[in-house]
Amino acid sequence: MIIGTNLAKIYGRGSVEVRALDGVDIRIQKGEFVGITGASGSGKSTLLHLLGLLDSPTTGSLVIDDVEVATLTERERTLFRLNRLGYVFQDYALVPELTAEENIYLPSKVRGMTAKECTRACRDILGLVGLRDRVGFLPGEMSGGEQQRVAIARALINNPAIILADEPCANLDTRNSTIILELIRKLNQELRQTVVMVSHEEWHQKYFDRVIVMKDGKILPEGERI
Amino acid sequence: MLEEEKVAFFLASRLITRGNKGTLFLTIMIIAMVFVNLIFLPSIIAGIVVLFNQQSIDYSYGNLVIEPREDQLLITNVKELQQKINRIPGVVASTPRYSGAATIISKGKSTTPVLVAINPNDEKQVLKIHTGIVSGDYLNDADTGQILIGTTLAGNKDQKVDRTPTLGGVEVGKSVDVTFRNGVTRQYRIKGIVASGQFSVDGSAFITRKELESVLGTTDTANQILVKTKTTGNEDAMRVTLMQYGIQEKIWTWQDKSADFLKSIVGSFEIINVISTIVSLVIAVVVIFIVIFINTVYRRKQIGILQAIGIDRSIIIKSYIFQALFIFVSGTVAGLALLFVLLQYLTASPLVFPGGPVGPVLDPLLLVRAIVSLFVVSLIAGFLPSWLTTREDILSAIRG
Repeated sequence: MIIGTNLAKIYGRGSVEVRALDGVDIRIQKGEFVGITGASGSGKSTLLHLLGLLDSPTTGSLVIDDVEVATLTERERTLFRLNRLGYVFQDYALVPELTAEENIYLPSKVRGMTAKECTRACRDILGLVGLRDRVGFLPGEMSGGEQQRVAIARALINNPAIILADEPCANLDTRNSTIILELIRKLNQELRQTVVMVSHEEWHQKYFDRVIVMKDGKILPEGERI
Repeated sequence: MLEEEKVAFFLASRLITRGNKGTLFLTIMIIAMVFVNLIFLPSIIAGIVVLFNQQSIDYSYGNLVIEPREDQLLITNVKELQQKINRIPGVVASTPRYSGAATIISKGKSTTPVLVAINPNDEKQVLKIHTGIVSGDYLNDADTGQILIGTTLAGNKDQKVDRTPTLGGVEVGKSVDVTFRNGVTRQYRIKGIVASGQFSVDGSAFITRKELESVLGTTDTANQILVKTKTTGNEDAMRVTLMQYGIQEKIWTWQDKSADFLKSIVGSFEIINVISTIVSLVIAVVVIFIVIFINTVYRRKQIGILQAIGIDRSIIIKSYIFQALFIFVSGTVAGLALLFVLLQYLTASPLVFPGGPVGPVLDPLLLVRAIVSLFVVSLIAGFLPSWLTTREDILSAIRG
């Protein structure tokens, strides 16, 4: 469960102060598929970065699975990201020199899994995302959709409680976007993982359990549109 | 191996094997060249020093030089002293000499070189001057009226090419007039011309002691006895031994006698060596640093993403250190191979210096120093850029 209270992120000081997040309260239940939407600069990516522990709030409290993450040290945050969170980036963010399989099992290697365990887990997940035949392919040898599915598989390898996806379909065509969204939805339903996804596409919303709309660093009341 | 190191090694190995091969090869070759540069010049300088040392022993001093006692100008009873010296354990042979200035005139050309009176057969046991005869013959003990001339002293017919006063290109069989310090002038037939590469030999003239004693009217005197010992390098111990056996004359080692000359040469070469080493190391640092730095800057976004998915920065830093170490190991191995080829070539075809041929002398300590230096440089060059990049805020890195 994610509980954010009065979260604020302020960049700059004095007259050039920018309030990217301005006193946000957020509550996401375990197993929910939540979409965050809003215009450019509304604060949706900033919120996702805070939830992904890629950034720290200027003020406020953030509790993820009963852990007050704002008080964690740098190393504890890294371990938290490794063990409890899966992050999917807009531009896939795969290591170009690693094959699909190696990209996927890299986080599990860090957790100390043996090569055999890594390979087994990796093959299972590749099957789940429909890329079993792409095991030895380098990112450059795959399409954008395939790369994003590898990125999703990488986010899943350590069986995280929460998947955070930052506009994962932004660089994909409608057909590939549909494949990705259906995949994430399926994983959310089958594995009961909490998914928080940033998207500005209206048609994506049918896949979400709930939509959080943001404007000027604040969450709009439910039902309100921009 | 620890888990972190395993992952770092895994990452590094993939980045190396699947990265840009051309850049990698070029970097390795640059490190190889730097390695060769770190070794090559010092080994040539070491070769020059060895040459000068050997030349001093073989042509000028032997291993030990015995000179008259404190208050005396000459060594007397030379024969008896020489026999005594030759019986001392560790001594191979000894040769008495009488050196002094004399004026030599040939066809109106006059010069005043050092004239050395020797026992030719004794000299053969101690020095190698007899091996340097380029024209005519070496002297015999019984020779009188004959002189051996150094090639520099003999000079050239075209005196413009001579840098010191010479006899204008005298040849074997021709005569020269020698005026001794007691005013006596005698005519000598040139028996041989000697070229050793050592100015103390090539700029001098040699007659027999028998001849000189007949000129000066002295008997059994010398102003130096050169001693050859069984092993080179233990001259200080041999000096003590000679003193223990009752030799009361002054005893010098060849190092003592050539100290000033060698010190200035070695000192000059050392300065060149230090400058060359520093320049080579700076080049190594800059090259490895630039390559790793460009690599990390180019991968800045990727490093941010790796951190975002939970890869600890220490793993990332270690992976870059492993890459730098791979470059160091490959560069060093390639450098050793290059060096081996170069040393083989120069051993077969040594560089020709005024003192003789110079081959490279590889000091194992020098090799270790070069390897350790490059290792340290690689560690720093691998660590610093990756450390700086991973210190950066993750989001800034991801945004590139």
